[in-house]
Amino acid sequence: MKNIITTLLFISVCNIAMGGGPWPQPKGKAYIKLSEWWTIFDQHYTDTGQIDPNLTTGIFNTSIYAEYGVTDRFTTVINAPIFSRSYMNNQRSGTTEEIIIQGEAINSIGDIDIGLKYGLTRPGANIPVSVTLTLGLPTGETSGGELGSLQTGDGEFNQYLKIDAGKSFQLGKASSYISIYGGINNRTQDFSEEFRTGGEVGIGLLNSKFWLTGKLDIVQSFNNGATAENANSTSIFANNSEFVAIGLEANLYVTRRVGISAGFANAVSGSIIAAAPSYSVGVFYDMSR
Amino acid sequence: MKNLLLYTAIITLLSSCIGDDFIDDRVDPVLRITDEIQSLEVNTMYQFNFAYFNNIGAEESVNPSWSSSDSSIIIIDDNGLATAIALGEAIITAEYVDEEGNIIEDIVSIIVDTSTVIEVEESKSGVIATTTFYDLSGTFTIDSNDDDIIINVADDYEASTGLPGLYLYLSNNRNSIANAREIGKVEVFNGAHTYTVADAGLNDYSFLVYFCKPFNVKVGDGEIQ
Repeated sequence: MKNIITTLLFISVCNIAMGGGPWPQPKGKAYIKLSEWWTIFDQHYTDTGQIDPNLTTGIFNTSIYAEYGVTDRFTTVINAPIFSRSYMNNQRSGTTEEIIIQGEAINSIGDIDIGLKYGLTRPGANIPVSVTLTLGLPTGETSGGELGSLQTGDGEFNQYLKIDAGKSFQLGKASSYISIYGGINNRTQDFSEEFRTGGEVGIGLLNSKFWLTGKLDIVQSFNNGATAENANSTSIFANNSEFVAIGLEANLYVTRRVGISAGFANAVSGSIIAAAPSYSVGVFYDMSR
Repeated sequence: MKNLLLYTAIITLLSSCIGDDFIDDRVDPVLRITDEIQSLEVNTMYQFNFAYFNNIGAEESVNPSWSSSDSSIIIIDDNGLATAIALGEAIITAEYVDEEGNIIEDIVSIIVDTSTVIEVEESKSGVIATTTFYDLSGTFTIDSNDDDIIINVADDYEASTGLPGLYLYLSNNRNSIANAREIGKVEVFNGAHTYTVADAGLNDYSFLVYFCKPFNVKVGDGEIQ
């Protein structure tokens, strides 16, 4: 369950469509987004990729995501789940309706990611390429609830290095872009390292006031972390989560710089990962326009 | 914009409340005569004992009615106290009518002879099988050892190591760990191993239940036979 949540948090970060990509912010410009991301799931992908039921679990993150261009090639990035709520339903007897397992919830901040993006190519390059180092700080709750199975963070300090490349182009009269990324996530606390890759395509409609973005994210575990067999502590549950997720996000600029967004993502295959869609809504401020 | 944020906040708050999941934990009630007496010495008395497990497998205190198929051989009172009167064989029945009007009964055949013979069953066995897509299989035996029982899981046992927080229970309901006895966290995922359960009898439970605590779901079970 912990890794499910950890991986879901990664999906939530991935779901920030209008930020990210290989394009650093121009010097002195910023992109800020306040968003609500959530998922409620009552089934999950097992370690063999099949779908099994679980007690209904919900995770809600209220996050601030921000990018700031320190120079035209250096951009600082932060993703801070300032309020994170995780809960599990009561399990009741279908015969007597008595509670068998008491539901519970925790509220805290989540794991905060801070990062630095560097543009390997000059601003305006035909195919911009950037590298980003993201540090995942274990600021969330790692074992809440009576059973210790509720969490808003994974308790490990990870270092995620990725490279992004992309290209913007015109599709008819519409501005469009495509980008891909790949990276390695080095994790501590006996969690397996991960290879992450994916990409997104976006098209700007209504004179680039309305952007539609499709996303693909893939996580493959190196399977070099702890398992239930060799973990010494009950605080380490599953490891080695993997998934292939697709997502769609819409962003509408309601003023020149302020906009609203809505999106969803869903793992179409996976291992030790929730088998349910996640949703997000947000409001953003884009100084680069 | 303010309205959108307000609606989002309301929806989020409402949907993030703890709700209820219901599991189908209904089982057939069981009345179990727990004595393992084969023969009763003529002109002696014997107190029969029983256990009743209701429709969720919880042990419940009830007052069954007792009867003998042949009162010329054995008579039995309302409390299960039997008296052997003459040589022969009779069937003792314990019967209880539950809240839904179902008749739940158990019977034992008793021979009235020149001596009382009690043959205590010393071992039971079963097959562990997954009820999910996680690997879990094997066989087991349960041996009685004074006031304890010893669960011997055999060499052919195998469980997925990808499964977090797997626990083993003894239960009278294969679908629920309510009223079950937790044996402990599963730490062996391949091959033979044993669990010693103190103050438990061979006939106290009907199932081994493997349960994943983090997911709060049953993973597999094995009927004790």
